[in-house]
Amino acid sequence: MKVRDAMVYDLSAVFEDETVENVIRMLSKQELSGLPVVDREMRVVGFVNEEDLIKAIVPSYFSLLRSASFIPDTNQLMKNLVKIKDKPICNFMNKVPVVVKEDDALIVAADYLIRYGFRFLPVVNDNMQLLGIIRRIDVLKVVLEGKEEI
Amino acid sequence: MVLTVTMNPAVDREIYLEDFQVNKLHRIRDYTKTRMSPGGKGINVSIALSRLGIPSIAMGFVGGHMGRILLEELRRTSHLITTNFVHVDGETRENIEIIDEKRHTITEINFPGPEIKKSDLEAFLRRYRTVLARANCVVISGSLPLGVNEEVCAELVRMAKESGATVFVELVPSIVEKMLLAGYAPDVVKLDLRESGQTFFSRKLETFEVHVEIAEEIASKSKLAILSYEVKNDIVALDGEVWMITAREEIDLSHTLGAGDAYVAGMVYYFLKHGLKPLEMAKYGFAAALASTRMKEKTWPTLEEIERELSFFDLERVK
Repeated sequence: MKVRDAMVYDLSAVFEDETVENVIRMLSKQELSGLPVVDREMRVVGFVNEEDLIKAIVPSYFSLLRSASFIPDTNQLMKNLVKIKDKPICNFMNKVPVVVKEDDALIVAADYLIRYGFRFLPVVNDNMQLLGIIRRIDVLKVVLEGKEEI
Repeated sequence: MVLTVTMNPAVDREIYLEDFQVNKLHRIRDYTKTRMSPGGKGINVSIALSRLGIPSIAMGFVGGHMGRILLEELRRTSHLITTNFVHVDGETRENIEIIDEKRHTITEINFPGPEIKKSDLEAFLRRYRTVLARANCVVISGSLPLGVNEEVCAELVRMAKESGATVFVELVPSIVEKMLLAGYAPDVVKLDLRESGQTFFSRKLETFEVHVEIAEEIASKSKLAILSYEVKNDIVALDGEVWMITAREEIDLSHTLGAGDAYVAGMVYYFLKHGLKPLEMAKYGFAAALASTRMKEKTWPTLEEIERELSFFDLERVK
């Protein structure tokens, strides 16, 4: 089985100069956990997900604490978001995008999804241009549907 | 690659009734009498092309729960369709089509769709510009949602022509007027004349003579103009010639859902395979539309079905 058998041919993506605020709105409207980041030629240059954005607004010292439950809420998240909302998303994206190609074996996509902890991966052509995405559920669904062929 | 633009897509709901009457309760007990499918003229062209093995990118705006249904259904339809929609606030519209199989009528109720904000339109135009690099053929058709003015279509044509694509449109006369006034004529123009009482540069589209005159006028700026005249005829104008294509048999009005979109898909298919040969494209498009009218539901013909129809119409030069 190949990636092409399971992927979704969809070009939903954000441009690298899109603001953080716009990206959050897009993720929310599309109910997505992340989106590929592309340049003007639609080449995938990164990947942004909710986790990257939450990390950007949670104070960095929180990671040093065993628990943050005793710290009073002083609207720190909102204050931090105000600071970054107009900044380009390329400042917060994962700059080494993990991608697969249409002709890659499906098991490669399944491995990457688990190895890197992503919910989906961009699918690109030889020029790194976006063709679509492959989600965890797409892998599972197509394997389930194809099991009778074995 | 073909790029289709549907600014105001819809989830189409076809309902088949035996004797539709206003002011009366109609209860549907058989689920085969109702059908839900992705719709909007550009999307229909994408689906019809996928039946002919042609890949396309479908663009436009979607919103809300209905928008998600539309995308899921579209992706399920064919892997040859790549979706590229801007997600907006509000709900994608539903179009209700009541087909009366006894009286042979179609009653259509089309919702307006979500209102498009300036920022959504800007996002769309940016994506459109990027995707144009992959397209050698652009199809722009259907109605416009609230918030998008008619001049935007002329801008889409301008951008597509600048990128070197061949542009097909099926739009209402008022939008085509604006394109011609702006000096951006698409290569192929099919006027969307589904609503009655329309005018083109203040002339009512009523008589045969006016249809011919308008077709000629559009073709003086485009390469091909097509105007439906009554149910079974099309006026076709190109390069100083005007032709009329007439179906040999009567066409059941209740079978014409999607026929215009099948027509455009047929022309695009012929263009991709044989180049820009206007009269041949029109004949192929007419055959595709005719094939689609053989079935009562909105269906998309195969190549064999289209080619079978090529001998079921007459072609006559009228000017």
